[in-house]
Amino acid sequence: MIRTHLRYHAPRSVEETCALLAAADRAVILGGGTMTVPQLGRGERAAADVVHLRSIGLGEMAVADDGFRIGAMATYTDLLSSEVARRHADLLVTVASGITGGAQIRNLGTVGGSACYANPSSDIPAALVALGAEVLLRSTSGTRRIPAGLFYLDAFHTALRPDEFLTGVAVPISEASAAGYYKLKLSESSWPIATAAAVVRHTGGAWQGRLALGGVRATPVLIDLTPLLDGAGRIPEAQQETVRELVDDELETPWDDELAPADYRRAVAPTVADRAVTALNERLAS
Amino acid sequence: MTHTIEPPTVTGHGTRVRRKQGDLILTGRGRYLDDIELPGVLHAAVLRSPHPHARIVGIDASAAAAATGVRVVLTGAEAVPMATPIPHYYDPAIPGGKTHAFRCLAVDKVVYVGQPVAAVVAKTLGDAEAALEAIRVEYELLPFVLDADEALEAGAPLLFEDWGDNVVIRSAFQEGETEAVLAGAPHVLEDEIRIQRYGTTPLEPRGYLAQWEQDGRLTFYGSCQNPHPLRSNLATMLDLPETQIKVVAPRVGGGFGHKFHGYPEEILVCLLSRLAGAPVKWLETRADSLLVGAREMVHRFTAAYDDDGRILAVRDRIVANIGALGSMAGWGMSFVAGMAFPGPYKVKHYDVESVAVVTNKAPWNGARSYGKESAALAIERMVDLIAVDLGLDPIDIRRRNFIKSDEFPYWTTAKRLDSGNYDGVLDKAVDLSGYEQLREKQRLARREGRLLGVGVAFELTPEGGDFPGDLVRGFDTSTVRVDPSGKVMVLTGVTSPGTGNETGIAQLVAGEFGVPVDDVAVLQGDTDACPYGYGNASSRSLNLGGTAAVLAARDVRERLAACAAVLLGLETDRGLVFADGWISAPDGGPRLRFRDVARQVFTRAIEIPAIDQPQLESTRTYAPTNLLHVPDTEGRVSPYPTYPNSAHISTVEVDAGTGLVTVLGYTGVDDCGTVVNPTLVEGQFLGAIAMGIGGALWEDLSYGADGRPRTQTFKQYLLPRSTDLPHLAIGSQVTPSPFTLLGTKGAGEGGVAGAVACIANAVNDALRPLGVTVRRMPLSGPTILSAIRTGAPR
Repeated sequence: MIRTHLRYHAPRSVEETCALLAAADRAVILGGGTMTVPQLGRGERAAADVVHLRSIGLGEMAVADDGFRIGAMATYTDLLSSEVARRHADLLVTVASGITGGAQIRNLGTVGGSACYANPSSDIPAALVALGAEVLLRSTSGTRRIPAGLFYLDAFHTALRPDEFLTGVAVPISEASAAGYYKLKLSESSWPIATAAAVVRHTGGAWQGRLALGGVRATPVLIDLTPLLDGAGRIPEAQQETVRELVDDELETPWDDELAPADYRRAVAPTVADRAVTALNERLAS
Repeated sequence: MTHTIEPPTVTGHGTRVRRKQGDLILTGRGRYLDDIELPGVLHAAVLRSPHPHARIVGIDASAAAAATGVRVVLTGAEAVPMATPIPHYYDPAIPGGKTHAFRCLAVDKVVYVGQPVAAVVAKTLGDAEAALEAIRVEYELLPFVLDADEALEAGAPLLFEDWGDNVVIRSAFQEGETEAVLAGAPHVLEDEIRIQRYGTTPLEPRGYLAQWEQDGRLTFYGSCQNPHPLRSNLATMLDLPETQIKVVAPRVGGGFGHKFHGYPEEILVCLLSRLAGAPVKWLETRADSLLVGAREMVHRFTAAYDDDGRILAVRDRIVANIGALGSMAGWGMSFVAGMAFPGPYKVKHYDVESVAVVTNKAPWNGARSYGKESAALAIERMVDLIAVDLGLDPIDIRRRNFIKSDEFPYWTTAKRLDSGNYDGVLDKAVDLSGYEQLREKQRLARREGRLLGVGVAFELTPEGGDFPGDLVRGFDTSTVRVDPSGKVMVLTGVTSPGTGNETGIAQLVAGEFGVPVDDVAVLQGDTDACPYGYGNASSRSLNLGGTAAVLAARDVRERLAACAAVLLGLETDRGLVFADGWISAPDGGPRLRFRDVARQVFTRAIEIPAIDQPQLESTRTYAPTNLLHVPDTEGRVSPYPTYPNSAHISTVEVDAGTGLVTVLGYTGVDDCGTVVNPTLVEGQFLGAIAMGIGGALWEDLSYGADGRPRTQTFKQYLLPRSTDLPHLAIGSQVTPSPFTLLGTKGAGEGGVAGAVACIANAVNDALRPLGVTVRRMPLSGPTILSAIRTGAPR
C-alpha cells in the first residue's frame, strides 16, 4: 500500500510539467506506471509528488528532422500497430511483440518509461543503444539530447536529472537498415536474462553496424560491427566467432540477480549475440 | 488375496455437471476475504525481522504509536500474556520429535528473515505500513545456518538451544534385509537428487479479519483450509469456550496447503482487534506469501538390482531443510517423503530415513503433493538410472517392477495400498503419447545434434491421511436437510480451496434423491452452521464429505420413502424409485413429486399417524475402512487409506547454447478410483501437471548468502504461463478403491509429483548424448548450462 501522502499532478503541457518538476522535492514521473505504481505500493519508492504524463500528449510517432520520433507516452501497443514504426524502427516493433504481461501491460507500458527505468534486465535500453537513438530530455532550462549509449550510467540509473523528464526518443533514419534481435529469458514471465540487438544501416554508400547487448552488464554493452560487415551488410559466417570473442571481452563484470547468476550471463552472452547476428543475416537475405 | 470390486451403487456421479457458481468466479464476481467489508474496519501491518538469527535486545515503538492514523502497536513481549503459544497443526512431538512453543510475535529472538516482531493497526493500510518504519528494534546478531547439511554438523548455530541439535525428527521406514541384499547384489548404484525450496502461490494470498462482538463473541473470517480446527486452536490460545468463536472461511482463491493453519497472523489479528475495539483485517502480501517454504530436500540413495532390472533393495537418506519450524503443517512433508517409498514398485528390502532439520529460513507450510513429489522424484530418477545402466527402456523397467493388479491390497511398512492397475495406467499413457513415435522422433533429432529427451514417470499418491493425536483426521461429517419446498441443503465439515468439490458433493446428493443438482445447495466453511470437520487437506473433501453426505442423504431418503409409501397407499416402501424429481412405485405404479412428499412431511406429519417423524435431516460421519493405526503382527500401519496413481510421459528439448528447456509434449493418465465429476477431476489433474512442470523448471524460493529470501514478486518467482506449457494430453482409468463406499480415492494433489519426476527424467534423457546428469532442481537454464559446460559426469 502507498505509505506516503502523495500529491498527484496531471499536467497538460510540457511547460507545465517542467515547472512542476522544478518546484517539486521528491517527484516521481509516471508514464504507463507499470513499474512505478507497484513499486510505490510495495514501499520500494517514496514520493511526495507524482507527475503523470497522461495528459500532455507525447504519444505520437512520426518522422521529424532529427529522425523517427517516438513520444514518451507511446505504448507497446502503439508501436505494434504503427506502420511508420515498422518502417523506421522495426527493431522496437519486434521488441514490443515480445513484451509479456498481457494487453494491460502493452497498453500502458511505454518505450520512454522503460528507457528511464534502466533495468539492466529489460529490452528497451539496449535496443535504443543498438539503434543509435538519442533520448530527448526536457526541463525549464531547455532540451538536452543524449545518445542512448551515454544515457545509461548504472543499473537503474540514468543521466536524467531530477528536474528533467523524457519527452521522447529519436531514432536515426537511413537509406536502408535491418535488425536482428534475440532475447533470452527463462520462461514467459521472466525478465530478459540477455538480449542482443544487431542493427545495420546503409548511409553514405557504406554499411555501419552496431550490436548492443542488454541484461549482461549493469548498462548496455555496445559493439561496433562495422569492420566485420560484408558488402551486403551481413556478418559473414567467418566473422561470427569474432563477434563472440568481442562480446566475451566485454563481460568482466556481468550483471547478476536472483534469476540468473553472473557466470550464466557471461556464458550465454556470446550465444545470444550470435543468434541476433544470425537473425540479422536472415533478415538481409530475405 | 483378491478382492472383488463391487460397482458403486450411487447414481449421480460420472457426469460433467457445470461447476456451481463457476460463472461468478469466471466473471470476477466471486467474493473473497478481502471483499468482506465490516463497518469501521482497521488495517494491520506486521513488522518482520530483517535478520536470519538475532536476539531482540529492545523495541521502541513510541514513535509508531504516535504516528498518523495508528490505533494499536503490539510487540512480542506485550502479546505474551494475551494468548498461549500457537498450537501446532500437527505437533512433531506426537510421533516423538522435538517441538517448540511459537508465539504470534517473536519475544526473545528471531530465527528467520520475515518472522513477525511487532504489529501496527491503523485507519488505513498505508498508515499502518508507514508506522512500521518508525518502530526501532535493537538486535544482537547471531550466527545463522541456511544449509541443512551444515545445520547437522556439530557446532552449527542452534535455532532452539534446548534441543542440543537442529534435528526435529528422524522418520524411518524399513522392511527386509536391505544391507545384506545391497552387499550381495549383482548391480548397485548410488546417486543423489536435490529438490529446491518452492511453494504453491495461491493467487489469493492469505487474509484474516477478526471482529469481537459486544457480548465477547469472536467472529473470525479467514482465507483458510481448516476452519473448525482453527476455531479449536483460537479457543485454546484465547482461553475462550469454542462456542464463543465463529470461524468463517469464505470463498478461497487457492489453498494447496498454503492455507493450513498455524500461522502467527491468525491469533495476532484477534488480539489486535480486541485491543483496537474494532474489526481488524490483515492481508498477506505476495512477498509474505513467498516466505513460506516447502519441499527442499536431498535424497542420497543406493539401489540394488538384478540383470533384468528388478529392484532388489533401496536405501535412501533424506535430509529435509524445513526452515525454522513454526506451528504450521510443513514439517510432516519430511515424513511423507520417506513413507511414500518404494512407490508403485515391488521392492522387498528398503531402508529409508528422512531427517527434518531446522535452519534459519522461513518455516514451511504444507504444499500440494506434500513430500510425495520429493519421493517420486527420487524413486523415478533411480528407476531411470537403473534402466540407463542396463540399457533398458524406461517403460519396460517400470512394468517389470510394478506391483500387479492381483496383488492388492499390498502392504509396505507404512501403507496398505488399496487397489491399482499400474500396468493399465502406464499402457494408456504409452498409447496416448504415441511413445514409440516419440522415441523415433528422438532418434532423428539426435542425428541432427538436437538434445531431445523423452521422460517417463509413475506417481503413487497416498491420499486422505489420518493423523490421530491432533486435529488432522481422515474422517469427516456432513448434514443433509430437505426443506418443505423439496430443496436440499448440505452442510459439511469439508471445505473447498477453490477446486469446486461442492459441485461434486451436490451431484452425489442429487443422485441419491433423484433431483436436479441445482436443487442441492452446499454450505461449507461456517463453523456455526456446519458440523465439526477437518476442512481441506490430502485430497479428502469429496471422498469424505461427499460420502458422508451420501450416507446422510440415504437416511433422509429412507424416511421420505416410508412417507411416500404411506401417501401412495402402498403396503411397502421397498422398490420405490427416486428419479427425475419423482418418487415412484416400481413398474409404472403411482408416483408423487419429491417436493410434494417433502411438503407433506412438514404439513401432514402426526396428523397422518403413519408419518410420525417429521424430520428430514441426518448427520453422518464417514471414514474409509483402510485407516489402520493398530500395528499388525509385522508392525505395519497405514495412516493413508487410498492410493491414486498416474503415469506421465513428456518430450523436452534442451537448448545446448543456453541450457533452456522447452516442453514439447506432455501426456498424463490418472487413476483416482471412481470419478464423480470428470470435468472437476481433469481440472485438478491439469493444474497439478502444470504445477509439477513449474516446479521442475522454474519455481525457486532461493536465499542469498546473507540469509534473506531473493524472491518477493512474480517477476522473481517464475510460475508457468500458458505459453510455457504444451498441450497437456490427459486420459484416465478407473480402478475403484474397495475400502471407500463409492470407490473414490481422492483427486487434487495427484499429478504434481509425476510431472516433477517426468520432466527430470526427460531432461536427463535429453542430456544423455553429452554424458551429463543433472542432480539439482529446478532444471533452470543456469543449472543445466553449468552441468553441460562442466561436463558433470554421470
